[in-house]
Amino acid sequence: MSDDNKSGLKRRDFLKLLGVAGTTAAVTGGCSSEPVNQLIPYVIPPDKFIPGIPSYFASTCRECPAGCGLIVKNREGRAIKVEGNPEAPVNMGGTCARGQASLQGLYNPDRIRSPLIYKEETARLAPVGWEKAEKALSDKISTLIEQGKGDRIVYLSNNVSGTFRDLVDKWLKATGGGKHYSYETFSHEPIRKANEILYGKDVIPSYRIENADFVLSFGADFLETWLSPVNFSKGFSKLHTVKNDTTGKVIQVEPRMSVTAASADKWVQIRPGTEMYLALGIANVIINKGWAKANAGLLAGVVSTYTPSKVSTITDVPAETIVQIAKGFSENKSLAIGGGAAYTGSNATQTQVAVNILNHIVGNVGNTVDYSDILMISNLNSYQEIAELVNKMNKGEVEMLIVHNTNPVFTLPPGLKVKEAISKVTDVVSFSSFMDETTELASLIMPDSTFLESWGDYQPTQKYVGIIQPVMSPVFNTKQTGDVLLSVAGNIDSAKGSFEVDNYLDYLKNSWKKVARYVSPGENFDSFWKKTLEKGGVTFHLEPAQVELSPSVMNVEFDEAGFAGNGDMYFITYPSYRFYDGSGANRPWLQELPEALSTSVWDSFVEIHPDTAKKLGVRTGTYVDIKTDQGSIRTQAFVYEGIRPDTIAVPFGLGHKSFGRYAEGRGVNPLDILPASSDSLSGGFTWFSTKANISSNGDYELLVRIQYSETQDDREVAQAVNIKDLPALEQDHEEPPEFYHEREYPTYRWAMAIDLNKCTGCGACVTACFAENNLPVVGKEQVAKRREMHWLRIERYFDKDTEGKLETKFLPMLCQQCGNAPCEPVCPVYATYHNQEGLNGMVYNRCVGTRYCSNNCTYKVRRFNWFTYKFPEPLNWQLNPDVTVRTKGVMEKCTFCVQRIKYAEDIAKDNNSIVKDGDMMTACQQACATEAITFGNLLEEGSMVNELSKNKRGYKVLKEINTKPAITYLKKVKWDKV
Amino acid sequence: MSQNENNSFTYSQVTNDVVRMLEKPTYKWWALFLPTLGFVGIGMVCFFYQVYTGLGVAGYRHPVFWGVYITNFVFWVGIAHSGTLISAILYLFRARFRMSIYRVSEAMTVFAVLTAGLFPIIHLGRAWNFYWLFPYPNQRELWINFKSPLVWDVFAVSTYLTVSSVFFFVGMIPDIAAVRDKVTAVPRKIIYTILSLGWKGSHWEWLHYSRAYLYFAALATPLVLSVHSVVSWDFAMANVPGWHSTIFAPYFVAGAIFSGLAMVITLTIPLRKIFRLENYITMDNYDGMAKLILFTGGIVTYSYATEILLSWYTGSPFEWGQTYYRMTGPYAPLFWTMIFCNVVAPIPLWFKKYRSNIKVLFIISLLINIGMWFERFNIITMSLSHEFEPGAWGIYKISWVEAGITAGSFAWFFMFFLIFIKTLPAVSIAEIKEILPVPKKGGNK
Amino acid sequence: MKSDQGVLGIFTYLDTVTDAVKELKNNGYEQLKVFSPFPNHEIEDVMEESPSPVRYFTLFGGLLGATCGFGFTVLTAMSWPIPVSAKPVVSIIPFMVIVFELTILFGALSTLIGLLINSFVRKRAPITLYDPRFSDDKFGIMVVCPEDKIKNVESILKSRGAEEVKFDTVEY
Repeated sequence: MSDDNKSGLKRRDFLKLLGVAGTTAAVTGGCSSEPVNQLIPYVIPPDKFIPGIPSYFASTCRECPAGCGLIVKNREGRAIKVEGNPEAPVNMGGTCARGQASLQGLYNPDRIRSPLIYKEETARLAPVGWEKAEKALSDKISTLIEQGKGDRIVYLSNNVSGTFRDLVDKWLKATGGGKHYSYETFSHEPIRKANEILYGKDVIPSYRIENADFVLSFGADFLETWLSPVNFSKGFSKLHTVKNDTTGKVIQVEPRMSVTAASADKWVQIRPGTEMYLALGIANVIINKGWAKANAGLLAGVVSTYTPSKVSTITDVPAETIVQIAKGFSENKSLAIGGGAAYTGSNATQTQVAVNILNHIVGNVGNTVDYSDILMISNLNSYQEIAELVNKMNKGEVEMLIVHNTNPVFTLPPGLKVKEAISKVTDVVSFSSFMDETTELASLIMPDSTFLESWGDYQPTQKYVGIIQPVMSPVFNTKQTGDVLLSVAGNIDSAKGSFEVDNYLDYLKNSWKKVARYVSPGENFDSFWKKTLEKGGVTFHLEPAQVELSPSVMNVEFDEAGFAGNGDMYFITYPSYRFYDGSGANRPWLQELPEALSTSVWDSFVEIHPDTAKKLGVRTGTYVDIKTDQGSIRTQAFVYEGIRPDTIAVPFGLGHKSFGRYAEGRGVNPLDILPASSDSLSGGFTWFSTKANISSNGDYELLVRIQYSETQDDREVAQAVNIKDLPALEQDHEEPPEFYHEREYPTYRWAMAIDLNKCTGCGACVTACFAENNLPVVGKEQVAKRREMHWLRIERYFDKDTEGKLETKFLPMLCQQCGNAPCEPVCPVYATYHNQEGLNGMVYNRCVGTRYCSNNCTYKVRRFNWFTYKFPEPLNWQLNPDVTVRTKGVMEKCTFCVQRIKYAEDIAKDNNSIVKDGDMMTACQQACATEAITFGNLLEEGSMVNELSKNKRGYKVLKEINTKPAITYLKKVKWDKV
Repeated sequence: MSQNENNSFTYSQVTNDVVRMLEKPTYKWWALFLPTLGFVGIGMVCFFYQVYTGLGVAGYRHPVFWGVYITNFVFWVGIAHSGTLISAILYLFRARFRMSIYRVSEAMTVFAVLTAGLFPIIHLGRAWNFYWLFPYPNQRELWINFKSPLVWDVFAVSTYLTVSSVFFFVGMIPDIAAVRDKVTAVPRKIIYTILSLGWKGSHWEWLHYSRAYLYFAALATPLVLSVHSVVSWDFAMANVPGWHSTIFAPYFVAGAIFSGLAMVITLTIPLRKIFRLENYITMDNYDGMAKLILFTGGIVTYSYATEILLSWYTGSPFEWGQTYYRMTGPYAPLFWTMIFCNVVAPIPLWFKKYRSNIKVLFIISLLINIGMWFERFNIITMSLSHEFEPGAWGIYKISWVEAGITAGSFAWFFMFFLIFIKTLPAVSIAEIKEILPVPKKGGNK
Repeated sequence: MKSDQGVLGIFTYLDTVTDAVKELKNNGYEQLKVFSPFPNHEIEDVMEESPSPVRYFTLFGGLLGATCGFGFTVLTAMSWPIPVSAKPVVSIIPFMVIVFELTILFGALSTLIGLLINSFVRKRAPITLYDPRFSDDKFGIMVVCPEDKIKNVESILKSRGAEEVKFDTVEY
C-alpha cells in the first residue's frame, strides 16, 4: 500500500491547477485597490475575474505560531474557503480546524469595525477616522519623545517574525528606543533551556516525526497544539501507514488521555510530574543493556541511579513496560519529545533534559531531531520576562503600551495582576481586531486587518518563509498595522526620515528584494515576487547543524516536581486544540466542533475518573467546584477513564469575560486558579504546578455533547485488527444474493475510503465541511436537543482492549452513499434518489419533510432543518455560492461535495476526458492532515480509492444490513504490547 | 336484542325516542361543547405557531424523527376500525347486537379518520406543501413514489375516509326521512328533506337499498383490514430494529379493533345514560363487545410475546438490544404501562359478572385506550431512539406544542361527535324496527 | 305523456298488506308501490321484483378501479424513471397496494351511483301519493290504474283492511 507518495504526486498535480488560477489571483490580489466595505459581488467584473470561476490566493495562516501555508478560495471578491498549501513544507496541504475557522475571524460579526478613541466627556470609546486616530497616536509619541520618554514605549505583540519584526524594531528605534516584547501563551521555554544545557543552543529544533517509526512522547500533544500540529499530523500519517503488515508506533506518556494519546498505540498512565524519571529510567536501561547507538559518554553517569525498579515505584509504570519501551526506542528509528504546555511543571526543564538525553543516546540528533531548521518561536520572550514587564508597568516605568494580536489579560495568571498593571500605564494602544479583555483597557484602538486582508510574511522555521497576501479587500474599516506604524512614523518629525517607504507593501517588497538576491540571484524581482505569491513562500537550503554535548548537563539536578496547594488532586490545564490560547473561542464553528473525547460543545468541563467521581458522588454533567489557593472555578464533570484517579483536568481557552457574542461568559478559565509561578531554570510559566480540592453540591445539568453513548455495545461499528493477525487478514467480500439485478454505473461510482489507523479525531474535516457546505451553527440549546447539523460527525467509542485497558476508536461517520440506500424508496415524493454516479441525491426543493428517510437511515447521517437558521452578517459572506442554503422543513445530508464533483466534471468535459484520480478532492479529504480520507472513482482501475476498497483491512460499517455503502473503512491496527 | 324486552315498545316509540335526541341542545350539551371548541382552538394555535417557526418547536430530536404526531395518527386510525367492523363485518355475520350501536360507531369511524388524517400533514416539515403527496398532473411531470409506504397511506386513508363516509350516509337515508316526517320547524325540515334525497320507503327503493348496503359492507370489510395493514407497513417496511417485522399487519389490525371497541364502549356508556337509551343499547350489546375485546386482546398479547421471543431468537444484537432497551431503558415505565393496560387489564372480562358491570367495563375500556396509545408511542419512538449506531442514540421528549395539538385532536373528534348526536339519528330507526316483531292482524305465527 | 289515477291505501298490519297486493295482482294491477318503514322480506316476496342491478355497478366499478390503479402506477413510474435504491423502476409488488385501494374506492363509489340511479331516477311511475306515517309505523300500497278502475281498486283495498284511501292523478 503506497498511498502516501501517490497522494503526494496527486496533490502536486492539484497545485498546478491552482498555480494557474493563482497567477490571476496574485495580480488582482496584489492591487486590491477597491475601497473597503464594497464587497458586493461584481455586477461588471474586472477583466481578471470570471464570475463563477473561483480564484485562489496563497497565504500563510496566523491562527497559531505554526504558520501553515494556506490557499484561500475567493469567489466574486469574497474569501469562502481555506485550504492547506501543498507546497508549504510546514503543513504540506493539511489544515486544522482552527485554520479552517480563520474565515470566521475574518467575517466575525464582533470585529472592531473602525478605529476607536476614548472620549473623556462621554467616558467611553467612540469611533473615529483613521487620520484622527493616527494623529492621536503620533501626537502622544511625539510628546513622549520630547519628554525624552520615547524608550518607555513598549510594543507587546504575539510571535512575529520576518519583515514585520524588523519593522517594529526599526519603528521603536525611530520613536525613541522603546522595547518590543513578543509573547505567546504557549512559548515552550523549557525545550529551549534544555537544549542550551545539553548543546549550548537556546533553540527549539524541528522534530521529524515523519522520519521516525517509534515516537515516545512525554505529554507533548503533538497532534493538537504542540509546536506545529499539522506538520506532526502529516508525520503521524506517514508513521501510521500500514506497509507490509507493520506500522509505526506512538507511545504517549501522560496522566490524562489527550486526543494525541487516544490516537497513540499506547497510553502510559504515569504519575503526574514524574515523566522525567521515566525518561531517565529508559535511558538507564538503554545504556546498561548496551543498546545505545551514540556515545553516551558522561550521560551514563547522569542516568546511572535510575534503575527500572526504582523508577517504576516513582512513576507507577511497571518495570517491564520501561524495559519494553527502552527496547523499542533503541531498536527503531525513534524520537522522544516532551514539553506539552499541560505538563510544564517546576521541573519541566529537567524533564526536557531527560528527553534530550534519550534522543542523544540513540543517535536521533540529526535524524529525527533537526537543530539546523529551528523554530522561530525560539525568539519569544519568556514568561519570566513578561512578568518583569508587568512589574515595570506596575512601577509606572511604562508610558505607552502597544498591544498587538495578543491578549495578556486573558492568558496570564491573575496572580500576576496584569490588569492592574496595564491600567497604571498612561497610554494603552491596541491593534487588536477584536474587543478582548486587554483591548477593553485601551484608550486608543486601531483595529488591525486580519491576516487574510493584509500583506506580510511569516517565518515559521529557519527553512521557510511564507508570504501573507490579502485574499480580499478588508471587510470593515480596518487597516493593517504595518501601514499604521509607517504613517504614524511619517507624522513624527524625528521619525520621518527613518523609513524610505510610506506603506507596508513597499516595505515588504524591499525586504524581499534581499531575499530574492539570496534565493535566486539575478532573477528579475517582479517575476520572483509573482512566483513567490503563487507558491506562497520560499524555502531555503540549510546546512545540517552539528551539536556538541556540553558538560553543563552534569550540573542538572533532577529534582521532582513541586506542587503548590494542599489539595488532593493534581490539577491539569491543557491547551484546547479547538480554541488554542482562547483566540479561537469567538469562532462559532470551533464552538460547535465537539471536543473529540468528551464530544462536548460550547462549554468547559472537568475530566474526572469514575472512581473519583463515585467518591465525590458526581456523574457526567454534575457541577464540580475546583478550589486552589488562588481561588475556585465551577464547571460540569465529564466522567471517563481517560484520566488518573488522582488527577483532574480542565481545558484552556474558554471563560472569556469579553470577546464577542460567541465567547463571552462561556465556560471557565482554569488559569484563574493557577499560581503565577515559573520554572526556575527556563523561566517558563508552569501550567502544571498546583493541586486542587474538588467538591460538589450535586447540582446537575446536561453536559451538552453530540454523543452520549460511550461504548459501541459490541456492535463492531468501529473495528480494529491486532497486528499479529494482519498477515492472515482477509476482507470479507461476500455479498448476499440480490433479489433485483445489480445496478450499473456508466462512468463514475464515487466512493471513499477512510483509514481508521490514521484518523486522529482532530475535527478538521468537520469544520471544513461546515465551511464548504454552508452548514449552520445551531448553538448550545439546540445541540442539547441533538439538533446539530454536522453532515460529518466523528463518533468516538471507548472499548476495552485485551488487557481491559481503555481503548479509543474514532469513526468519521458521514453519508455512505449506499448503493442500496434505505432512505430512497421510502420518500413519497422522490426527494432523494440514486443517481447514475452512485450518489444518493437529495433534492431540497422537492422535500416536504416527512423525515422517513432519516428514520430509515442505518447510519443516522441525515440532518433536518428544524428552523431556518441564521448566518449573522457578515458571516453569511462566507457562504459557498455553489451550495444551496437550506430553509426550515427540509432534510439534508453529506453530498460527497457534489458541487466539487460537478466542477471537476465540467473541466474534464472541456478537455474531452473524464475526471481522473486526484483531479478533485472533497472538503473533508482536502482538510485531513493525516490523509485518512481518500475519495475517487471506484470504476477507475488503479485509482487510490479503488485500491483501498480492496485493501484487506477494509470493511463496511453494518454490512449485514446490506446497504452496499460507498465508503470503505480500513480497520485500525492494534499492538497488544509496546 | 332478544324479543321479550322489546314487546314493551312500538314502531312510533322508536321513532319518537330517536327524534327526541335531536331536540334543542340543553345547557349540559353546551357545557360540553364550548370547552371542546376551546381546545380545538388551542390545537390550531399550536399548529400555526409550529408552521410559522419550524418543526423545531416540537420535541423531535436526532435520531427520533417521528413522535407523538405519528402516534396519534396510528391511534386514531385504529379507533376508526371498530366502527367499520361493527357496521360492516358484523352486518355480514348478521350479529344482532350491532343494531343499536352501529350508527354511533360508524360516526366514530368517520370522525376518527378525519382526525387521523390531520396528523400526517401536521407532522410535515413543510406542511404547506402537503398536496405534493397526492398524484396530480403538473408541468414538472413529477409524480409520487408509489414504492413509498407513505404514499400507500395516502391512498388507504383517503379511500377509507371516502368509503366509510358513504357507508355512514347511505345507512342514514331512511332514518333521515323518518326524522323529516316528524320535525316541523322550518329550517330543519328543509335540511332533512334535502338530506333524505326524497326517500319514501317504497319497496322499490328498499330493494336497491338493501343490495347496495350489502355490497358496501362487502367492500368495507377487506378495506378495513387493508388500511391498518398499510399503516403497519409504514413501520414494517423500514429496517429499524423493532419495526422491521412480518407480524405487524395482523398485529396492528387486531390492536386497532381492540382499541376501537374500547372506544365504542367509552363513548356509548355516557351516551346511553344521558339519552336514557338503556332499552336500545342493552347489556347484551356490551357483552358481545366485551367478548370481541377479549378475542382481539388475546391476539395483541400474543403479538407482544412473539415480538419479544423473535427478537431474542434472531440473535441479532440490534433486535434484542431494542427489546432489552424497551423493557429496561429510560422508556421502561411506558412499556410496562402498555403491558398492564393491554394484557392485564382486560382479564376480568373473562367473567360474565364483570362483563355485565357498566363501571368495570367503562374503566377497562379507558385503560385499553390509554394502553393502546402507549403501544403506538413505544413502537415508534423507542425503536427510533435505539437503532443500529450507538453513536446516534437519543431520547425524545414531548413538547408543549405537541401536547397542545394532541389535546386539540381529541377535542376535534369530540366536537364532531357532539354535533352528530344533536343533528343526526344516533340510533338506526329502520334497523331497530326491522328486528321488532312485525304487527300482523292474524298475530305472529 | 300518459295520465292515470293513483290510489293509495294505508295499512297498519303487514299481513293485510301482502294479502291486498296478492289480490290486486290477481286483478291484473301491475303498477304497485308498497311503502314500509323498514326493508321487509315478505313484501319483497309478494312483489316478485327481479334482483337489483346495483351489483353490476359494483362489479364494474371494482374492475375499473383495479385497471386504473395498475395503469396509473406503472405509467407514472415510466413517464419519468427515477431509480431508488437498486429497485426496478416498475416494481409491481408495492403497486398492488394502490391497485387494491383503488379497486375498493371505485367499487364503493359506483355502487353509490348505482343506488341513486336505480332507486331515485329509474322509477317506473312517479310517487305522487305519500304519507309521512310510512316512515314511522304505517304501511301503504299505491296503485296506478286507469280512471274507470278507481272504485274497483278502492274496494279491494278497503276489503283487505286499508284504514284510509287517497286519490290523485299521476302523470308519466
